Amino acid sequence: MTINTFSQDGVQRQQMPCLTKMERMIISMQDPDMGIKLRNQRLLITVIPHAMTGADIFEWLIKKFSISDEEALHIGQIFVKYGYIYPLKEPRNLILKVDNSPYRFQTPYYWMSTRWPASELDYAIYLTKKNIRKQGDLIEYEKECYNALHKRINHTWDFVVMQAREQLRASKQRRKADRIVLECQEQAYWLVNRPPPGTLDNIDHGPERRTTNTRVQLNADFYKKEIEHNRISLARNRVKSSICLESYVKYCEQYQPHDPIMQGCLPSNPWITDDIMFWNMNCETVSVQTKLRVERWSFSFMELLSDPVGRKEFLTYLEKEFSAENLCFWQACEDVRHGETSKIPGKVDEVYKQFLAPGASRWVNIDSKTMEKTLEGFKRPHRFVLDDAQMHIYFLMKKDSYPRYLKSDLYKNLLARAVVPQETKKSVLPFIHRQRHSSPSPALATQAAEDDGKAKNSNSFKSNSGTASRL
Amino acid sequence: MGKDECKTMLDALNKVTACYRHLVIALGSTSDSQNLREELKKTRTKAQELAVANRTKLTSLLKDKGISKDDRAEYERLWVLFTSSVELLEVDMKRSLEIGQDFPLKVPRRHLIQTGMTGSTTTVAARAMSVQNMKYEADANIDTVDLKELETEIAQVDQMMEEMELKVQVAPWTVEAKQEAGAELKSTVSVGNSSVGIISICEEEPKETVEGETGLMKVFAGVIFTAVLLIAGILGYLVINL
Repeated sequence: MTINTFSQDGVQRQQMPCLTKMERMIISMQDPDMGIKLRNQRLLITVIPHAMTGADIFEWLIKKFSISDEEALHIGQIFVKYGYIYPLKEPRNLILKVDNSPYRFQTPYYWMSTRWPASELDYAIYLTKKNIRKQGDLIEYEKECYNALHKRINHTWDFVVMQAREQLRASKQRRKADRIVLECQEQAYWLVNRPPPGTLDNIDHGPERRTTNTRVQLNADFYKKEIEHNRISLARNRVKSSICLESYVKYCEQYQPHDPIMQGCLPSNPWITDDIMFWNMNCETVSVQTKLRVERWSFSFMELLSDPVGRKEFLTYLEKEFSAENLCFWQACEDVRHGETSKIPGKVDEVYKQFLAPGASRWVNIDSKTMEKTLEGFKRPHRFVLDDAQMHIYFLMKKDSYPRYLKSDLYKNLLARAVVPQETKKSVLPFIHRQRHSSPSPALATQAAEDDGKAKNSNSFKSNSGTASRL
Repeated sequence: MGKDECKTMLDALNKVTACYRHLVIALGSTSDSQNLREELKKTRTKAQELAVANRTKLTSLLKDKGISKDDRAEYERLWVLFTSSVELLEVDMKRSLEIGQDFPLKVPRRHLIQTGMTGSTTTVAARAMSVQNMKYEADANIDTVDLKELETEIAQVDQMMEEMELKVQVAPWTVEAKQEAGAELKSTVSVGNSSVGIISICEEEPKETVEGETGLMKVFAGVIFTAVLLIAGILGYLVINL
């Protein structure tokens, strides 16, 4: 049995898209005509080509993409953070300095890749090589990592030592300049992938997901499912963006007068003027409604139903038309849908007795197919068992009662009686500020409630819920 | 003895794997070339041959029921080393496929990454193939043709590893390494020396001690210099006077 260290979930991982984009940019930097100008790095005796300064990178980015200084700096930093470019002077400091500090490109093998994450075995081999080169003089955290790895992958430790020795012997075959570059490259790679403690981990890997039971077999069944899935997605109904943008614009135009931020609200914005008349005028139990509110009911049926006052008014209208049971049924279904799970069977029973049983007191008119389906579902009542019936009644009301309501006298009287609140007069002397009272802290409110009973609490609660439904 | 044979074969596989990795690191960079692709292909073929030979040898040894417990433990250890080597080889092959596909040699708009490595890798490949000089005889379009072969070879290696997992049941947690931590320092005099010369080019060293040392050296040199001057002066004076 082998322990696979590189693929944790058995599924082929995808390369992160941002990394592909970065790689494309790096390749475009290599262009001999349009790319970055490269210089030579002089070290004592050896000369190594293909070095560039931070300023070179910075200027090239600005010129190529016509971006601002800050953006160029940010992009340059990303390249260094992800290890595509590494600094030569201070290798542990992975930032881009826009001056003469030298940088170099990283070889593609060591590029950051989500497909080939750095494995423990490789890190162990690297540390062993370093140990040999430095005659045992590793940095503290490297020593700790070394010992931890020695314990963890002890079964292949001989292999680690063998491989480290062989890799060093292989690199001895190259000439000195290349050897230096190789060492720098490898060191840069490991500084990015195993950052020393205390430095920022630039690559946010996120939590490791060891989902070993999603091992996908790439066989004929899998591909058949994929083909089916893609075929269904192709046949999906799509709306042209021109059409949905039109309707979006219409929606925005319709709702704009109702938006307190866009249009301002009358009488005045309570958050600015400390005048809570706006909330008082729009709460549930007010006798005279604002014009805006009543107009909103004509936008769609759902608006009417979601406003408690609207629902009440609609109920009064339906009672006149002798079809109030529809709305009551709809409300009962909502209750089942959003209520407690334990009470569902009881509620469903009641609904059946009141609305659906033949000869019930408030019998609703549902077509036979839906009725059959619902009765079937009653054998095992769950939250959504009344959905079909509810939908049927909803559309019935929407198509039938709702348009008539909007044309009815009841609604028109309501609209006529509705008031447009006066804008509060601004103070004559502009320098006098209203006393701003901070709202009482909740702690005090609860204490007062304990003293006075629940009255205060429930009052503030009601006005709060009123505002919630308003906004 | 079976053990020694196994060890030498494993060493050979290990050497070729290390050289192969070294060559793959050079892919896509400025030391990439036609020759490199050919070297990769040859090294890879050799590595696969060695892997197959190792596998047959080790499976036959492990299947043998009549070996002693110590022997068995030793063979299991060798088996774990062998599987790690083949895993490394497989990863490197997959990566070389990916990088090879991304960096075709003949497309003029596709530039190689200028990494600073400009030397050739013939010596490494020669070491892998255990020959003195490498001979290059491939066609011009080896970079594209080779990739298809590489795919089939990767599939073969995958299959081989699966078979190995099924046929030989060796639990890695029962294997203990023979070498303790830091064992590589004891017998590597030759390897250490060459790289000590490249002192602190790419690494930071604690600057204070270096400066302190050079400071001391300077003072010491100054002292010796003045002493030599004094002696020269005294001798000259004596010569003149006598």
